[in-house]
Amino acid sequence: MWQTGKSEERLLVDYLLGKLPDEKLAEVEDRAFADRAFLAALQAAEADLIDAYVRKELTGPELRKFERLFLASPQRRKKVEFAGTLARLADEAVQPAQSSSWGALFDWARGWGHPLQFAAALGMLACVIGLSWLWSENRSLHSRMANLQSRSSDLERQAHDLTGRLAEEQARANSLTAQSKLPSPPPLMASLVLLPGATRAQSNAIQLLLPAGAQVAHIEIQLEAADDYPRFRVELRTARGDEVMARGNLLRQRNAGGFAVSLDVPASALPAGQYELALKGVSNDSAKDLGFYSFTVRRQ
Amino acid sequence: MESASRQKWSLTQEAFDAFLDALDPDRGDAGNRYLEVRANLVRLFEWRGCPLPDDYADEVINRCAKKISEGDAIRDIPTYCVGIARMLLKEMARAPDNKVTSLHHAPEPRALPADPVMESDEREACLRRCLNDFSPENRDLILRYYQGEKGEKINNRKGLERLFGVPAGTLRMRALRLREKLQSCTERCLQKKGVLTL
Repeated sequence: MWQTGKSEERLLVDYLLGKLPDEKLAEVEDRAFADRAFLAALQAAEADLIDAYVRKELTGPELRKFERLFLASPQRRKKVEFAGTLARLADEAVQPAQSSSWGALFDWARGWGHPLQFAAALGMLACVIGLSWLWSENRSLHSRMANLQSRSSDLERQAHDLTGRLAEEQARANSLTAQSKLPSPPPLMASLVLLPGATRAQSNAIQLLLPAGAQVAHIEIQLEAADDYPRFRVELRTARGDEVMARGNLLRQRNAGGFAVSLDVPASALPAGQYELALKGVSNDSAKDLGFYSFTVRRQ
Repeated sequence: MESASRQKWSLTQEAFDAFLDALDPDRGDAGNRYLEVRANLVRLFEWRGCPLPDDYADEVINRCAKKISEGDAIRDIPTYCVGIARMLLKEMARAPDNKVTSLHHAPEPRALPADPVMESDEREACLRRCLNDFSPENRDLILRYYQGEKGEKINNRKGLERLFGVPAGTLRMRALRLREKLQSCTERCLQKKGVLTL
């Protein structure tokens, strides 16, 4: 390795700036071609000189000589342009926010000058690493303990919630049991049975009582044995002839008296008053009147 | 570049083959030696401030090949070529339309041409990309080595010497090789983008 002291470095810089006489120029060149280490030293000196230029550290005659020699050829201009960009990035890279851990280690090492100080620094570094490890382990344990405590608190909270919900469910069950022992509430459904063959006069006496709170009126029409149709249709009108509702596709159902057709009518559709109900048997596309019923709705 | 009488001769394949044979009987080794000789000539012309170092280096090799093709025995071709290069430098300095400017009598200092913003941005992007290809250690080394001005730079380098436990010369060579590698990578990147031409 060719070591450059200050005088050798000065020789290289003078050569690069064309400040040496011809015989000295040749001497440096011959040595550079014969000795790779010397050539590398010359190239390193050139790099530093270019850096000094891009950082505007050259002045006066040196600056002029540099520009005359280094900006002449495209190759050297590329080196100068590259050096400018590298210097910019190098300065940018050492900003604290962007400094790497390796860089931080470098910053720390840079502050030490003497070998003994450096040895002490290494000792301190070992201590710092050891303390950092202990601190890291301690933090890890604290973190794990905090996690366990947090999980324990969560479980306690869940158990408390479940106990509360269980008590609520028990209270609700007790309440339902108590309610079951109270008198039954008024029925929500009113029923009306219409028998076949009743005369109009007899029908007029039929009443449907809708208690307060009743929602549905269940109407059951008892059929005669001959009323054997695949489907039935019921039309309900007021006494004035206004249609309240019509229901088709009703099927007869067996009951204790034979067969019956039933339907549910919303109580809200049945204000107090006189109503007429028509029952029809539907077969194929024809419908046959089977009976007319009249009844009175009364509200309680 | 050359006087009228000398420009009449141009390198032939036979002359170039003879030049290679004179460098080394093995054609592979001869090729490597040729590249080395030419690289040194380019360096020499660069150091001397020639505007077209490659052209001058080729002219030196042409003249050497011509001598060999004429039957001259040249024992040390690299040294002979350097001699021709120095002769050529003197010729250029004497020529009325000298392309090699006398260092002490140059009329005007040169200035670096303004770097177009786009080219500058592209160069920076390429350099960043190439730096990212380096290991973190090498990346920090080269950035730290070339960071700062004068006193700060000296302190940086001393810090690096301690950190790596190597003498200044070794660190300098390591930084130089990284720098060369980085510049080559950056120029290849710029060529790919069409910003830089060879």
